[in-house]
Amino acid sequence: MKKLMFLMLALFIGVSASAQTLPDVKVENQEGKVISIREVVDGTPMIISFWSTTCKPCIMELNAINESLYEWLEEVDMKVVAVSVDDARTLSRARAMTQGQGWDDYTCVYDKNQDLKRAMNVSLTPHTFIVDGKGNIVYSHSGYTPGSEQELFEKIKALK
Amino acid sequence: MKKFLLFLGVALCATFCVNEASAQIKAGEGQVSIALESNNSYYMEDQTLEKIGLVKPDERTRGNFGSNDYIKVDYSKGRFSAGVQVDAYLPGLYGYDMYTYQQRDTKLTGFLTKYIQWEDQNWGVRVGDIFDQFGNGLIFRSYEDRALGFNNSLAGARAHYNFNNMVSVKVVAGMPRLYDVRSNNLVYGADLALSISDMVGWENGIIGIEGSYVGRRDSDISAFNVEDWETGEITNILAGKEMLNMVSGRLNFEFAGVTLRGEYAAKLNEDLFNPTLPTAKGNVIYLDLGYNYKRFSASATFRRMENMTTAIDNRPVGIGGGNVMNYVPLLTRQHTYSLANLNPYRGSSVHTGGEIGGQLDLYYSLRNPKARGKYWNFHLNFSMFNTVDHFNQIYQQDMEGRNVWLDLNFDVERQWNKQVKTTFLYSFQRWDEEINHYDSPMAHYCRSHIFVGDVTYKFNKKHSMRFEAQYLASNDYEGDWVAATIEYNLAPKFSFYVSDMWNCEKMQDGAYGNYYMDLDTYEGDNYLLHYYQVGASFTHNSFRAQLSYGRNRAGFVCSGGVCRFQPAYTGFNLAMTLSF
Repeated sequence: MKKLMFLMLALFIGVSASAQTLPDVKVENQEGKVISIREVVDGTPMIISFWSTTCKPCIMELNAINESLYEWLEEVDMKVVAVSVDDARTLSRARAMTQGQGWDDYTCVYDKNQDLKRAMNVSLTPHTFIVDGKGNIVYSHSGYTPGSEQELFEKIKALK
Repeated sequence: MKKFLLFLGVALCATFCVNEASAQIKAGEGQVSIALESNNSYYMEDQTLEKIGLVKPDERTRGNFGSNDYIKVDYSKGRFSAGVQVDAYLPGLYGYDMYTYQQRDTKLTGFLTKYIQWEDQNWGVRVGDIFDQFGNGLIFRSYEDRALGFNNSLAGARAHYNFNNMVSVKVVAGMPRLYDVRSNNLVYGADLALSISDMVGWENGIIGIEGSYVGRRDSDISAFNVEDWETGEITNILAGKEMLNMVSGRLNFEFAGVTLRGEYAAKLNEDLFNPTLPTAKGNVIYLDLGYNYKRFSASATFRRMENMTTAIDNRPVGIGGGNVMNYVPLLTRQHTYSLANLNPYRGSSVHTGGEIGGQLDLYYSLRNPKARGKYWNFHLNFSMFNTVDHFNQIYQQDMEGRNVWLDLNFDVERQWNKQVKTTFLYSFQRWDEEINHYDSPMAHYCRSHIFVGDVTYKFNKKHSMRFEAQYLASNDYEGDWVAATIEYNLAPKFSFYVSDMWNCEKMQDGAYGNYYMDLDTYEGDNYLLHYYQVGASFTHNSFRAQLSYGRNRAGFVCSGGVCRFQPAYTGFNLAMTLSF
């Protein structure tokens, strides 16, 4: 076990830093069709937010972004991708919730086998990423405190 | 403790190495990403808890420290990816089934999972630990849930191929993980999905027909001894059948806001889940109906099942929540407020033996498109589960269909303006206390009414406060509860909270059954217990740490419709996550 930990330590030090890209992982769209998450990359910067029906802070964060979205859009071109990590048990509830919460302006995708969650190394929701128009991950944040959505907006503006 | 310090060192170093948000790691042309999670508890002495028998003496002998840690490292380059994950229990936290059922009380233990994978546009191959499911997971699902300490990944291989979205085929085979060991049983299966809508070129909706097969080959069918946990009697029985076959058929339909998903699955051979009970075949019907129109949406689920919980290994290594190869979760609403979640439905033997029921969700959002800062969100949920009216082969008796769980709840969320947001929740819950006793002639119902009010006030873009008040009125043995939380947030980095959950009514004598309690030393009727918590969290980019101190009630921790029992304790918790 110790050896492994040191191996990882060496990894941290041994590699150089540069931008990471959105992985090519399949998810379901709102209609239930399988798409690659790379399909959301279309030149527009975006917030990718992982949420689930049983994660209260996740829903608070997505609602807070939704409230400010039109104000933000006046200043910068952007979009929001909400990734539900609900499994078969709550998948239909998640689909219903995106409508019922008025998230019409979001691109909603469903990661029911949690492949994208694993690929993007999300261990705790909410976990939010800022991805530029080319699919590079430029920032990530985990947890939500009311008002922290402002930081996401600042990061998106800084992309310009 | 030493190992924990080492882990802390690695985590801190990692934080400093990547203290800039944009710093990501690139090795050659590919990229490396790393995630760390560490959950630690320091258990203190609490004489009040001990007096009422909530801390079992044998738990004390395991020491005062527990730590569940996970390190995950992935490398990807184009369509190729590979990774490892180390789980370290140093030793594990109280209340994880690995310890409860395997009696590895004092041991430090760990597990290593790994994979290599190629994902092409229409096909993919993965070797190593597989996480996958067929359909709704009724006959096969391998997944990880750290809140439950659950991980049943298959060590083996998976291949899938998709032809023009019309036909997709998937095959998997491997040996499932069972806590911190690898089972010798082999699980394999195949899944076929046909998209009729793609075949006929219908673009306005979805029609799909799917089917799966899953087999479990037991490695050893020799006889073994089982000790009855009630009588201590030792019986010699034969472990499972050599081969268990399961099949499933599914239908998916979606058109104009209406979705319908149905699945029927069956266990074709006699199987046993609990080694002390007779074997039986099983079956399940699952129906899921959804409807959306503008800002109204509805979703309804129905399920009838008998004997469908399927063990990875039937030999008496202990059953526990981790010894499961399929996914038949509880379908009730998983509440997020503590009192609404005080006595969650957990199915138990009813769920395993025979259960019929369903749930309904209605959502509606009332909002003015011109004023996005003001809206109403309405949500109504109803769930109800009964025992199946039939002769139950496992319990060898006629079962009368009777209600064991009912929850009718609604919540209203109102954003008044940019500063104020309020939430109100009401839940009526009724459950049968005799839920675990099939031979009990009649139901004994407990009824709870739960009221929750929650107000968030934003002073400005950075400072905000949240206040939550809850009341639970119940006729169960614990009686009434009251709870309150005050939270102060300093966005985006800090959050502080204080909370208390108070059992404000004296417990009744002779009560039992809701959770483990040592009745010989039970003096609970003399105490009005406070379950207090104080905590703070710090977030910096993708690093998050939460430190708390308090007394925790014994009860059920549920995640994804699966519950584990958490013993009561008082102490410190430190949870950290980091990824980059």
